[in-house]
Amino acid sequence: MVTPDKERAAEQAVPHSFKKKRGDNYFMEQKKIFSEPVKYDLTFAREIYRLENGSYIKQCMNCGLCTVSCATRDVMEYPPRQLFNLIKLGKKEEVLTSNTFWSCTSCCTCKARCPRGIPIIDVMHDLKKYAIEYGYTDYPQAAFYKAFWTEMSSRGKMFEGGMTARYFLTRGLDEIVKAMDMKDVGISMLKHGRMPLLPPKKIKGLGGLKKIISKAQELDRKEAAR
Amino acid sequence: MEKKIAVYICTGCGIGDALDIDALSKVAKGEFKVPICKTDGQLCGPEGVALIKQDIENDGVDTVVIAGCSARVNYDVFKFGSDKIVERVNLREQVIWCHTADDEDTQMLAEDYMRMGLVKQKNMNVPEPYHVESFSRNIMVLGGGLTGLTAALESAKAGYSTILVEKEAELGGYVGKMYKQVPMKPPFTDLEENCIPNLVKAVEDAGVKIYKSATVENTAGAPGMFDVTIKQDDGTVQERVGAIVLATGAKPYEADKLGHLGFGKFPNVITQSMFEEMAVAGTPEASKVAFIQCAGSRDQEHLPYCSAACCIESIKQALYVKEKNDEANVYVYYKDIRSNGQYEHFYMKAQQEGVVFVKGDVTEITEEDGKLTIEADDKTMGTTSLADEFDYVVLANGMVPTAALGDLMEEESTTDEAAAACDEPKASTPPIIKANLLNLVYRQGPELPALKYGFPDSHYICFPYETRRTGIYAAGVVRAPMDMLSAVEDGAGAAMKAIQCVEVTEKGEAVHPRSGDMSFPEFNMNRCTQCKRCTEECPFGAINEDEKGNPLPNPSRCRRCGTCMGACPERIISFKNYSVPMVGNMVKAIEMPEEDEEKPRILIFACDNDAIPALDMAGINHMQYNSWVRIIPLRCLGSLNLVWINDAMGRGFDGVLLMGCKHGDDYQCHFMKGSELAEIRLSKISETLDRLGLESERVRATTVSIMDYDKIPAMLDEFAADLEELGPNPMKDFQ
Amino acid sequence: MRYSYYPGCSSEATAKANAHSIEGVAKALDVQLEEIPDWNCCGASVASGVVGDFTQLVVTARNLAIAETKGLDVVTGCSSCYMTLAVANKKFKQDEHFRAKANEALAAAGLNYNGTLQVRQFLDVIINDVGLDKVAQKVKKSLDGLTVAGYVGCQTVRALPFEFDDPEQPVFMDRLMEALGATAADFPMRARCCGSSSTIPARDIVLDLGYKIFESAVAGGAQVIVTPCPMCQLNLDAYQSLVNRKYGTNFNIPVLFFTQLMAVAFGLSLEDQAFKYSIVSPYEALVQYSK
Ligand code: SF4
Ligand code: SF4
Ligand code: SF4
Ligand code: SF4
Repeated sequence: MVTPDKERAAEQAVPHSFKKKRGDNYFMEQKKIFSEPVKYDLTFAREIYRLENGSYIKQCMNCGLCTVSCATRDVMEYPPRQLFNLIKLGKKEEVLTSNTFWSCTSCCTCKARCPRGIPIIDVMHDLKKYAIEYGYTDYPQAAFYKAFWTEMSSRGKMFEGGMTARYFLTRGLDEIVKAMDMKDVGISMLKHGRMPLLPPKKIKGLGGLKKIISKAQELDRKEAAR
Repeated sequence: MEKKIAVYICTGCGIGDALDIDALSKVAKGEFKVPICKTDGQLCGPEGVALIKQDIENDGVDTVVIAGCSARVNYDVFKFGSDKIVERVNLREQVIWCHTADDEDTQMLAEDYMRMGLVKQKNMNVPEPYHVESFSRNIMVLGGGLTGLTAALESAKAGYSTILVEKEAELGGYVGKMYKQVPMKPPFTDLEENCIPNLVKAVEDAGVKIYKSATVENTAGAPGMFDVTIKQDDGTVQERVGAIVLATGAKPYEADKLGHLGFGKFPNVITQSMFEEMAVAGTPEASKVAFIQCAGSRDQEHLPYCSAACCIESIKQALYVKEKNDEANVYVYYKDIRSNGQYEHFYMKAQQEGVVFVKGDVTEITEEDGKLTIEADDKTMGTTSLADEFDYVVLANGMVPTAALGDLMEEESTTDEAAAACDEPKASTPPIIKANLLNLVYRQGPELPALKYGFPDSHYICFPYETRRTGIYAAGVVRAPMDMLSAVEDGAGAAMKAIQCVEVTEKGEAVHPRSGDMSFPEFNMNRCTQCKRCTEECPFGAINEDEKGNPLPNPSRCRRCGTCMGACPERIISFKNYSVPMVGNMVKAIEMPEEDEEKPRILIFACDNDAIPALDMAGINHMQYNSWVRIIPLRCLGSLNLVWINDAMGRGFDGVLLMGCKHGDDYQCHFMKGSELAEIRLSKISETLDRLGLESERVRATTVSIMDYDKIPAMLDEFAADLEELGPNPMKDFQ
Repeated sequence: MRYSYYPGCSSEATAKANAHSIEGVAKALDVQLEEIPDWNCCGASVASGVVGDFTQLVVTARNLAIAETKGLDVVTGCSSCYMTLAVANKKFKQDEHFRAKANEALAAAGLNYNGTLQVRQFLDVIINDVGLDKVAQKVKKSLDGLTVAGYVGCQTVRALPFEFDDPEQPVFMDRLMEALGATAADFPMRARCCGSSSTIPARDIVLDLGYKIFESAVAGGAQVIVTPCPMCQLNLDAYQSLVNRKYGTNFNIPVLFFTQLMAVAFGLSLEDQAFKYSIVSPYEALVQYSK
């Protein structure tokens, strides 16, 4: 029988080389936010509330279940709950430059557990989109996301080779150097026939798909304007 | 008149297989010479019951002893009319299900239980109900707020003449003065119109007799015969009523004590009720408002408890602001939002409307140009926050029950000689606050005994409305802090309790928890020494006294716990079917093996309310424990008379264990003080035991709740092991 | 039993083993899978972060619209595809405003979806439609003696919690392995995250999470890990060596699709067992079962 204790123990059984001293106490330690007391300026929050899933954030009751559940809480600058609170505080810069939503792996744990039914991963997606729109694209994930979408929308299917190439093109040489130790992975994938060098055929209905996409975005814009 | 006794031994449920039934019958027929002793394969079946009925019919049997299952089951099957005595010997739950079958010790246990049952019925008589003179079925409700109006309406709708007494000139109470009310129905998200006007109308239409601007000057008597003197400007009126609902509500906590939150300093720092008044006059146009929760509540310096309603009241008021001005910024500073039950939806609604909830402690409030600034420790962000430009700061200042407003009654010093001569230690007297609500003409004081923070004492878990004054039921925020929905439920609940009370009192039966019991304590006055033990220890204030100090029992106030019987040093108090000699003889009926037989004996006095059910549960779950124990059920440990322990030790019992309910502030005792009193009495006897050279560890008290059934075997076995270490009771030799 | 089948992009690249073994197992169990003609990428958990939920769901729904013309429920063998397809499907069923708006967009390509289908996972079909009894009957070579960590991952059970199994500690994968004769490992991490697509942009997330998963599987005595999810399989298989490098560990535990083990137990062809795509070799662990 797997007990919650065991589960917890298993989740914590890690010598976290990667672990940063962050988490819920983050504010106590650093960042300019401390230099003066916060106000609760709702201008930014109201903007976020207007996103597709944004208004759900209002429902957060600060229980913290998302934070303890999050698969990537150790690398997140602000766990989900705190991110939502930052929004409430009106800390736009901190929110949009944080790695929180980029670190989210869409594991759905928080969404499944949130007692207030907040679709947290969808909020994370909204924030990614919002950040990209406003040019907050410093995190590698932003490039990755964009590469993925471009690849997908230009072909109707995903081609990893193409996406990876696009990703490295935007991220620059540095990233390739860092990724060098991954060449083993790439080579073994190639060896095992799991990395086709040629992209899949475009789908036949690509034209239609593109029309659907632009129509959908047009509808979205219309709704947002309202 | 000589009893006609018949014993029936059931051999079903495995009893026949586990025990030597012939030997058991011999105890009845031989030792006790019972004329009729029969066995049956399934006594609770139609044939078994018919067999008993036949004997009652043909042979005039009036006392039936059934040896089989626990008295807690099949009581409706073995019912032969109130003029018959039915005694149950528990061979199933407490013998065969928890002890080895076909075993010498198990058999001895069963035979002892048979002896105890037979001795018990010998000492029992059929109770005759007590009837109140000039009995009244009327219900009086004190307090015309939401709870009181609900109680009055429910009582009137059920067909009882109802009297409502309100101290203000108008009905409605605190809720009546509200602009709008929190949601009372699904989906629990929307503000509702104030329900009081309709409720008042319904109460008036239902024919409730209403006294306004009226207070109660005094309340004398007992259930079924309370005489209440009601005072109005133009004199007093007397009403005789059967039962009373106390719904006098609460008062907001004094805001003057909240200077640290700016009250009194800045005019725009106001209380919830002030905001409510403003809303009635037309919610002020405001662009920024803050609510500060737990202002006074959950604060050791002020009210240590949670006032339960202020969170949702603030949420409601926050929505007033939003209703008026959608763009307004509304903040709620809180410790925890306690929007219990369905009000979670209401909380969420306010969040959706854009009310911002800040978990934090407010540290300072300042003012500049009429605008307020709040400094706080934001707990979720671990930072200080400074929000400014507030038009209003509303303090959720909590509530204080009206029962708590008044001076504590002084404990009277006993100069009485007889009392002083009686050297047993005393239980603490309950605090009574002179709140000027009921003004009871009771020897024990003018109001309901309080438990904590001035709220009336009641058995919070099992029967919350029953106070420690029978026939008086507290409801609404005078009983405990609560929201409106709970107050309505409380009002209805207490009204039902009041109705139940008049109904059973009319029949001469006890109210909860000994519902249906018709026995009541009788006093053999010639031997009374006026020691006041009974009047003081009765947890329900049932016993008054005359000028000479003689106890004056009020049987309809009595809950039949037997605490007075246990208290009386002269042992002059007894019930028709429960008495000091009865239990004493049961102790004596148990066979005491010689020391060299190496069969220790442990006597257990177990409370009928939780300990006996727990013991039965242990049996139902077939948990095994040692068969040295002999269990005697008591109505309440409070009825424990020390003479039984003397008897037991004298007879050579190796140990005595008391099993009762938990006591203290969060007591579980069904008679509030019984188990505590038993332990106090016990502390007395240990000295005596020591003096006799008997280790006082041989007599112990323990607390069990019904949930503890699985711990019972270990409890009993441990005690047995300890006794084994002490060795056999030296008194055995003197037998 | 007939279904529309949505293979997903990985079936043609990183997760060929999944595609092959599903095909073989489906055939063995008389489940007919009919590929949705001209299906497109679902966008996984990524596209909405660029173009928003609505656009992604509409793009996904294109597949459902095409499938609806045939009227067969949609089955997929990929957890991520399942999530996007099932969430889109649920929205079509429950949210009228969304349905109207989405159909307006679909109409741009002459399509329309009424929300009449169910979206299922292949694992769900095996357990609830085929049934474990039938699975057990098909076993030719019992996996007796093999301890398997059933790694269910995230989206399989949490995309729509309780739709299919317990979102926290699912049990069906274990029951399935037992039906094949194997022993289910005590494996608390069975439904925790593998790091998903962070491999490229934030690889350490994947390595850290992978470490926890291997640690837990090995502690539970597992010889093999099985999963229904192509992303999980890729991360745990291809990055195992990097986990070892980072943590100085020696994990060498094959990570297969559960359908591959079914193919082994059913005695299907080596093509269906599809071991050749594995980076951590399963041959050693499975030599006595695989022909
Ligand atoms: S689990 Fe939900 S309610 Fe709780 S803190 Fe996270 S987002 Fe808020
Ligand atoms: S979905 Fe994202 S934010 Fe939520 S628990 Fe998983 S990784 Fe964390
Ligand atoms: S109800 Fe809310 S504001 Fe009132 S005392 Fe309780 S927690 Fe504090
Ligand atoms: S102590 Fe118990 S039995 Fe005695 S008078 Fe009081 S309520 Fe009645």
